Amino acid sequence: MKDIPVDVGLIYEGERIRKSSMYVDLAGPKSKGAELLLVVPPEEVEDGRVEVVGPDVDQMEEGGRYPFGILIKVAGEKLEEDLEGVFERKLHYFCNYIQGFMHLNSRDIIWCRISKDAAKKGLKLEHVGKVLVNLYKSEFDVIEKIQVTFYTDEKAVDEHIARAREVYEKRDARASAIKDEDVDVFYSCLLCQSFAPTHVCAITPSRSGGCGAVTWFEGRAAVKVDPSGPIGEIPKGEVIDPVKGEYSGINEYVREKSNGTIERVYLHSLFDYPHTSCGCFEAIAFYIPEVDGIGIVHRDFHGVTPFGIPFSTMAGQVGGGVQSQGFLGISIAYLRSPKFLQGDGGWRRVVWMPAQLKERVRSAIPEEMYEKIATENEAQDLESLRSFLEQKQHPVLEGLKREEEKEAPEEEPAATMPELTVPVQATAAGAPVEFTITFKNARIYAEKVIIRRKE
Amino acid sequence: MIVAVSGKGGTGKTVIAALLVRCFTGMGREVLAIDADPDSNLAEALGVEVERTLGEIREEMLAKMESLPPGVSWRTTLEYETHRAIVEAEDFDLLSMGRPEGQGCYCAVNHVLRQIIDTLAENYEVVVIDTEAGLEHLSRRTTQSVDVMLVVTDTSKRGITTALRIKELAEELSIGFRKLAVVINRATPETEGRLQEYAEELGLEVAGVVPEDAQVRELDLRGEPLLKLSEDSPAARAVCGIARKVMELGA
Repeated sequence: MKDIPVDVGLIYEGERIRKSSMYVDLAGPKSKGAELLLVVPPEEVEDGRVEVVGPDVDQMEEGGRYPFGILIKVAGEKLEEDLEGVFERKLHYFCNYIQGFMHLNSRDIIWCRISKDAAKKGLKLEHVGKVLVNLYKSEFDVIEKIQVTFYTDEKAVDEHIARAREVYEKRDARASAIKDEDVDVFYSCLLCQSFAPTHVCAITPSRSGGCGAVTWFEGRAAVKVDPSGPIGEIPKGEVIDPVKGEYSGINEYVREKSNGTIERVYLHSLFDYPHTSCGCFEAIAFYIPEVDGIGIVHRDFHGVTPFGIPFSTMAGQVGGGVQSQGFLGISIAYLRSPKFLQGDGGWRRVVWMPAQLKERVRSAIPEEMYEKIATENEAQDLESLRSFLEQKQHPVLEGLKREEEKEAPEEEPAATMPELTVPVQATAAGAPVEFTITFKNARIYAEKVIIRRKE
Repeated sequence: MIVAVSGKGGTGKTVIAALLVRCFTGMGREVLAIDADPDSNLAEALGVEVERTLGEIREEMLAKMESLPPGVSWRTTLEYETHRAIVEAEDFDLLSMGRPEGQGCYCAVNHVLRQIIDTLAENYEVVVIDTEAGLEHLSRRTTQSVDVMLVVTDTSKRGITTALRIKELAEELSIGFRKLAVVINRATPETEGRLQEYAEELGLEVAGVVPEDAQVRELDLRGEPLLKLSEDSPAARAVCGIARKVMELGA
């Protein structure tokens, strides 16, 4: 790159600058710092400008440690605030392309180093800024204007960190609200196929992998850094059942990657086509037919479930990449999902879980259900479970499933028809006819039913 | 170049690994030492202190994953924590793998950790890994490609047969290694020749023979780092010979 005293290129990615060859430490575990990228109106950006608030490299002491902040403002007609996070993550890669510049992590836990060699060649933050302007613009056409500011003055860094944290918080609040229906791409993880060859983990905003390690956001990040790795993209396809969570894209993908063994998958149900279970799931949701309810047990619980068996025994029966009716390996995070087993009634169907787990996910359990769910302290077997549920008037006693369907959220009806008009002849041959219409096992949701006389 | 030093417990493999680190730094090489044997202590032998092991970081990571904000990836956090855990000594860096994992799923974390360590290793001219005989760390967490695998044996026939077993095990665990060679430790004039012959009969290359050394014994006894060993001690000289041989084997 012109006017830059060091090389810039992909080959410098992953460069660790050792202490003995380090000129300065910026931010890092023993100091502080933050990076932030903002999408702003075009009049607030002076295109190509690089500013350093505080000392630049040539004014820094060799072997020194400085607080460090990066602020990037971008503008462009097609830019949206939602892209800030995606662009900001690129900083890590772009900075690392610079020879003699090390960049680790993101947000307000960054750590940078400049090597002695680079400092000797005259590398300054000013140059780093120019490289960033150049790389951002060449990688993203939508960025029309970009301005970079570095902070190395302690007070300025403190202010920058405070502002950055406010933005992170707002961004996270927006991201946490994302649901399966808000995205077009899901992710898959095939890491567990080494021991569960037909297990294809489908990862959506409302369902993280059973191990708890791969969320939808993590999947998105993984695909970007390791495109040929075990995590891949699943095109969502058509929505087949929004309540149980069936998508044509997932079905096709799973069918292919399980070598045709698994045909269909419901993301949010224990029945018919439950998601396969790997073996390293954090918890198991299991159907208890005797009370028509669902129990949950997690790996850290060493006691027995109301079935009389502990987690380990159940895990052995459930895992391995098969679909087990009434059993599902899940992550703890899934208990917090707004779609948690919604195909089976969600929390209103849950009857038992270990006390420790119940406490851990307390905020996710609807208030009116909290007291109605038994733990090992109240129920150690099916008999004590049944009497607890009766005493607490648990909804499963009333045939909960039907109730849930009636209450299904409006945007997620079990079946929809834009209009259902039933022509009824009130008379036959001039004589009134009595008739009845019976719907059996029907799952129909209608916002309004209009019956009109035939004109 | 990645050198893994393995062998049964008690063969003095950590001593050899520590001396190798010293020889390589003496040759002006940039060295990363990886302590991947929870039962020994390479850091102590090298006279440095470890604040945090990767094992601890991994546990913290798993515990914290659930609460990480959606805009923060644990991958980059893990990379940052790994760099942070590196002990930066005067002329080498050291990373300690720590204890083996507990229950639960480590597939995803270990997968990423291996990538991080592989990338990190490329920054050094020489990486010396002190690994347990079971090679568990190598296969699951550290790296799957080793240039030279050194198996340290004591002066028993059984020690040399262990080298064969480690070779088979490495192949089974699909750990790629280009060369495997035996280091005969604490050899005496009476045992040396016969052991070398035996190794050759089994088709094993001998990287070198390290003689029984009173200075090493004394430092060990006092619990002092082996870096204090004087450069002209017979053991140190022998290991530097091995280091040169390793450079040839790995070239």
